[in-house]
Amino acid sequence: MKIYIIIILLAFGCVYNTFSQKDSLKIILKEVTIVADKSFKENSKGYKVISLTDSILTKNIESFSGLIRFNAPIYIREFGAGGTSSASFRGTSSSNTAVVWNGININSVNNGQTGFNSLTVSLFDNIDVRSGGGSIEYGSGAVGGTVHLNDALTFKNTPIVTNQFITSVGSYSTYNNLYKLKYSGEKLALKIGASYNQSENDYPLLGTNFRNTNGEYSNIGLNGGFSYKLSEYSELNLFTTSYLGERFFSGELPNPSSANDKYQDINNRTLITYHRKKGQVTNEVKAAFLTEEYRFFDDKTLASFNFGKSKRYIGNYKFKYRFANINASVSSLSEYESVFGKTDQIIERNRRQFSQSLIFSHQVNNLLFYDVKLRKDFNSDYTVPLTYALGIKVKPFSLISFRANTSKNYRVPTYNDLFWPGQGNLNLRPETALQAELGVVYTKNRLKIDVAGFYIDARDKIVWTPNGDPLRPGIWTPVNFSKAINKGIEVLLQYKYSIGKHIIDFNSNYSYTNAKNAATNTFLIFVPKHLLNASLGYSYKKVSAFYQHLYTGKTYTTESNSEDFIVPSFIVGNLGGDYILLKNQQKQLSIGFKINNIFNQLYFTQPSRPLQNRNYNFNINYKF
Amino acid sequence: MKINKLFTALALGTLIFASCEKNEIEEMLPEEVMPEEVSKGAFENGILISGEGSGAGTGSVTFISEDFTVTDNLIYKDVNKTELGTFLQSMSFDNDRVFITVDNQNTITVANRFTFEKIGEISTGLEVPRYMTVVGNTGYVTNWGKGSFGDNIADDFIAVVDLNTLTVTSTINVAVGPERIIHRNGKLYVSHKGAFGTNNKVSVINVADGNVDKVITVKDNPDELFFNSDDELVVLSEGRTIFDANFTVIGNTLAGIATINPVTLEVASELIFAEGVHPSLMAIENDDIYYNIGNDVFSVKDDAVALATDKSITAEGFLYGLEVEGNFIYTLNASFSDLSKLNVYDATSSAKVQTVDAPIGASKIYFN
Repeated sequence: MKIYIIIILLAFGCVYNTFSQKDSLKIILKEVTIVADKSFKENSKGYKVISLTDSILTKNIESFSGLIRFNAPIYIREFGAGGTSSASFRGTSSSNTAVVWNGININSVNNGQTGFNSLTVSLFDNIDVRSGGGSIEYGSGAVGGTVHLNDALTFKNTPIVTNQFITSVGSYSTYNNLYKLKYSGEKLALKIGASYNQSENDYPLLGTNFRNTNGEYSNIGLNGGFSYKLSEYSELNLFTTSYLGERFFSGELPNPSSANDKYQDINNRTLITYHRKKGQVTNEVKAAFLTEEYRFFDDKTLASFNFGKSKRYIGNYKFKYRFANINASVSSLSEYESVFGKTDQIIERNRRQFSQSLIFSHQVNNLLFYDVKLRKDFNSDYTVPLTYALGIKVKPFSLISFRANTSKNYRVPTYNDLFWPGQGNLNLRPETALQAELGVVYTKNRLKIDVAGFYIDARDKIVWTPNGDPLRPGIWTPVNFSKAINKGIEVLLQYKYSIGKHIIDFNSNYSYTNAKNAATNTFLIFVPKHLLNASLGYSYKKVSAFYQHLYTGKTYTTESNSEDFIVPSFIVGNLGGDYILLKNQQKQLSIGFKINNIFNQLYFTQPSRPLQNRNYNFNINYKF
Repeated sequence: MKINKLFTALALGTLIFASCEKNEIEEMLPEEVMPEEVSKGAFENGILISGEGSGAGTGSVTFISEDFTVTDNLIYKDVNKTELGTFLQSMSFDNDRVFITVDNQNTITVANRFTFEKIGEISTGLEVPRYMTVVGNTGYVTNWGKGSFGDNIADDFIAVVDLNTLTVTSTINVAVGPERIIHRNGKLYVSHKGAFGTNNKVSVINVADGNVDKVITVKDNPDELFFNSDDELVVLSEGRTIFDANFTVIGNTLAGIATINPVTLEVASELIFAEGVHPSLMAIENDDIYYNIGNDVFSVKDDAVALATDKSITAEGFLYGLEVEGNFIYTLNASFSDLSKLNVYDATSSAKVQTVDAPIGASKIYFN
């Protein structure tokens, strides 16, 4: 069992910080944090992971897309602020990004993606962003990388109840509210959270006389967690979350007032895990039930809508044996999943899948670690290739370590791809991608530099195209199409410096991506070559300030890379600050502000859909 | 700009001159006695192609000079520094102006048809506008109204637009899914393709009083309609695929080309396609009717009693637009992820004689 103990956390450069409250570190001597996905850390040794902790989440409470855009090496394409939003790693497509909730891939059965504006920032305790393939652990769609939404529960030898209340008010009638209650006992840990967000979102569209029209949204999220220590060796955990969101899809220029679409999301997810570790043997049983539903109203004034629904049942058993004498372990992961999906156009279909993974990991000595992972899926709808991953970590010098990994990953066709009436294609093959990564990490005191080169060879990409099927002329059908080669470099720079009570904190991600269609030798659309984000924080006693910066390079929108159809590069900056009004062992009250897009730049990631101009946010954060 | 092989350019250049009366006269005059003519604008003589647009770029218009030496994409954007929006469904014209209908934007943008400088727009009173026809100083615009895929609401209408003030002055309620609209001798003829669902009607509307005089039943999903050389109305019905409640294909309704008597307003004759065959495009040139089955383009005389057995040409790519001028068949190979192509074929030899760029989602060809 992987437990997070303070000492590990205090080690510099630890990117797996799952604590939500850094300030509490000093006072508590013994605590153990439970996360649902206990395998994540041990399976990520050869990978690059960026952890977004509570303090970062709080600074970006108003938008999940904004959180990721300013803090992770991911390109976010947003159809107007608050609208449809998708994410891509390393030049792969948005359906090659898996979103993982407490260890479970939650990408939609219908379209294979997760909308980044139908996720709430604030309810999760931490978010990990892992670059690189992860189909072995997270299945279909984990090709470019994975975004992990984690709940954390904490056992403490002295029981304690903590409350947290955050409320924020922003421009365009934007309100974000969050309440979290946590109980940390010796044997029992509990967590309840609720959030409510709403916005009129009618920001002026820079350079025009229009405002963002029909862009309002509201959503409610509920979150619960429970963990009970059955014995010294075992515990029982329950995680549950519900989300109900309503968004209107704003109109595009030149006449945004014509928009009248409405979209609703209703998601429920429940996960129960039993975990037992005694001696060299670990057993873990998981059961999960997930439902998702969307309703699309082509006209908000009408009652009729298009919909998609799914129910997923997942059973999962993990067995791990540790060879103490050689410091190695072998794990077996068996999973059965049954999905019932339907839309207004597709009758309910049941897809069943059994997958078996084997993982062998070996810490040879202080110098060398490696792991070997294999997975085979048996799917009722099609054949999924054998997938594998190899990872190596070498630390030949005290300050420098190397990591390398290679893996084969896949994405299965969605229900829409297969079954859309008159258009689906039952002969589709899963997309596959071979990839390799080589990274160097330099850590000294509070400086960390991580440089990684990646190479992805993606095949059989599923693309909808007219005349895709010669037997159905003029009909749009999905086909296995292109081969793409993505190459690039990712650089991460983290630095923390303090003199007395002055603390400076700097984080930056830069990525260079050269992603090309191998057949046409043209750049893939909507992939910026350069992407840079950086944040600089400064704090002195009770006052802190931060600046977030984003540069996104030009992207092409046509396959031939016509200069007539591009999304221009842009720079956006946010400035914020906090002041701690009250702080003692029981309570902390702080107020903060944030100016988003401080330079008031016109920018967009989808043509004709400008994102927000300069806007303001004021927040109160109370923990007691 | 694109330079093409001279001989094909010349061949086509002559053809287009021939198709245009005014130019025909000029062609025949010796140069020194040719009347001094002031150019009306850069896009006066040539082909305009409208593209619907997509996520890759909004609706746009391409100009191609009549000798095919100049291809100018994005002419509206270049002149006006603004986009037209998605999806550009169709264009219509009066003497000096072009009316650009963008259905998802509920907007008709009005510009000079020769310079493409914006004059104004009609952005209120329209609800999913599709096609417009101009009668004097009045425009008649088909509108789908509310509804969503597979789910029609009977609020569809023809918007009557005062082309002096560019405002919708009244509406005419019509059957569901009005699509193409043309006029002839004081009457409007509207095909009802069915908007978000299906329909099988052609409405005949009296321009004078705005009354629907007659609703003619044709085969399912009527789209293109024209008058033939005998002044009869010709309508292409695409037919449709039938699904059961489980969305399994269980059959097809038949497609047909109906010829309607303009006096009795009854279907006089009909060419019926085989079951499962769904033509989607039709063009008319002199007394020939051109239509497609998949990528193959066929032609029949307008008084034919049977469909053609031999194809004229096979068009390249995704055949999304069709026009015929003289002996040349203009086809659009539409791409929604990139620029499209205009391919021109010689109907006699079936050879492709021209290829030039066309806008994203290219769908309609107009001779300006």
